[in-house]
Amino acid sequence: MPRQFAYYPGCVAEFSSKELNATTKALAPLLDIELLPMPQATCCGAGDIAEAKPNLYLTLNVRILSEAEEMGVDILTICNVCTLNLRRANKMVKEDPRLLEQVNGELVNAGARPYQGTIDVTHLLWYLATEEGLSLLEQRGPRGLNGLKVAPYYGCQLLRPSSVMGFEDPDRPQSLERLITALGGEVADYDGKTRCCGFPIILAREEVALKESHVALSGARDAGAQVMVTPCPLCHLAMDAYQRKTEQLMGEEYAMPVLHLPQLIGLALGMPTQTMEFKRHFTPMDEVLETVGA
Amino acid sequence: MASTTFRVFRYQPDSGDLESYHQDFNLDHEEKTTVLDALLRIQNEQDGTLAVRYSCRSAICGSCACKVNGKTVLACMTQVEEAKAESGSSTLQVDPIGNFAPIKDLVVDMTPFWDKFKAVKPFLIPDGPAPDKERLVPKAAMEKVAKESACILCAACYSECNSLAADPEFVGPAAFAWGYRFAADERDSQRKNRAKLYSGQHGIWDCTRCMFCNERCPKGVDPRDAIEKLGAIAFQEKVTKDKGARHAKAFLISMRTGGKLNEQLVGGFTDPVGGAFNAPLALRMLQKGKLPASPLTHKVKNRDQVTKLIKNVKETI
Repeated sequence: MPRQFAYYPGCVAEFSSKELNATTKALAPLLDIELLPMPQATCCGAGDIAEAKPNLYLTLNVRILSEAEEMGVDILTICNVCTLNLRRANKMVKEDPRLLEQVNGELVNAGARPYQGTIDVTHLLWYLATEEGLSLLEQRGPRGLNGLKVAPYYGCQLLRPSSVMGFEDPDRPQSLERLITALGGEVADYDGKTRCCGFPIILAREEVALKESHVALSGARDAGAQVMVTPCPLCHLAMDAYQRKTEQLMGEEYAMPVLHLPQLIGLALGMPTQTMEFKRHFTPMDEVLETVGA
Repeated sequence: MASTTFRVFRYQPDSGDLESYHQDFNLDHEEKTTVLDALLRIQNEQDGTLAVRYSCRSAICGSCACKVNGKTVLACMTQVEEAKAESGSSTLQVDPIGNFAPIKDLVVDMTPFWDKFKAVKPFLIPDGPAPDKERLVPKAAMEKVAKESACILCAACYSECNSLAADPEFVGPAAFAWGYRFAADERDSQRKNRAKLYSGQHGIWDCTRCMFCNERCPKGVDPRDAIEKLGAIAFQEKVTKDKGARHAKAFLISMRTGGKLNEQLVGGFTDPVGGAFNAPLALRMLQKGKLPASPLTHKVKNRDQVTKLIKNVKETI
């Protein structure tokens, strides 16, 4: 029996970064995961709706949790920001029965299903970086990264605040490192891996944001990485699509291809490169594909 | 008894040496010794020139924030053996807090911090003449600002703030925690003016949501949450001209019109003027299929529920 999840890809993976959604869907059966669609689910608000209308943020996110609860399964995400927003709402109502009652009152008034507080929200990285997940990868066989030097890049919101996220030590995370090693890659370690990519303010404060992403890009480059991998499509946009702008602003060259997490696994498992849609990336992937023999 | 090597940041410009370096001190100490006690023993027993700022030794004064193996903490509330176990290292490297210029060893120049703190007007500005007796406030009203009232101004939140590292003018987490503490106080008369004051160029919309401040605060203030609440106050007061506020508005419009993010809308709506300078990037994104050619919104099932929630849910900030 495959492990079933309510699949919440988030808006960026569904629209701008379709390659992430496509790769995740192709990867799921290989890892014995069944991704069930959530047709009612809205955007999580990405922190923006929380910043404008906090009560509306909470209600909308609890409505998403409730849809998964009705399906009888936990939610699986592939985005740091969605993970934080959904987990935060879940924690708020699970810890405060009066708040849950208020939110449910709004949901019922609007014709939506009330939430009982019974489900959990996890990220693909967390599911795979456990012993169970790593053994799933092992069963799939080849340690196919052929020594590819990979810089893990976590970004912020899958780690902090740890009171909401709590999967691993936010200052010494190891989940990406465990996966890279298990897949036959070599870890390029550097300080910037837990720093911000700047994406949340890239449209409103572009220069501040690009200076932030510079910290991680230059760190990965200086650690000798051939490629960076991230569990978040917003980090991916900041690091890949905006990389040339950051190079122009900082007067430096990074030439750093950036992989979505499922693409790294796909490469190791020998998934066809067309499936992973590397043509949608900005920074060329040629050297990476050559190293792994894809 | 335990034994630890402390690798301490040294910087003594008064002695003519303008280069900083790390110096190792070995110390035998009790199991429960704090980092501050260890530093003071090193100062007393091994090197009297070591400069450390401290006062209360009990996590109230906020003077002794520093980095221990890269993580910002209060030296007085961090036990040496616990810090070693947490970082998996037998050596503790002690550095001054980040994002400030060092004056001497672990002492940094806090002037920019106090300037920003003052700039948010961190005091109550009531309306009208003072009453004969105190201004009474219901308990529930004060609970709204209880978390933020716990701030001890230690600057641990500034030490690793990613926005501050990229923009030294960013007003920053602690100052905005205080800003919220007064903006949300029902005795204060300056709610709208505060929303305007805090929405400037280096204001609340500069926050990149790296969450380091919430992670590091030794008092559970959660400064990022305070910045978020100031955003909600700005929306309530209709102070929404800043590009950051427009970005949030684009999400609200997306929610209203379909339920999922309308990526075409968000760029142009956030920055209708400056966005033109991003035309080359937008074009490349279009070529890569990263901007959908169609401006149509993405509609979720049972969207009437979403519409009703947007209409019905009242904000209580």
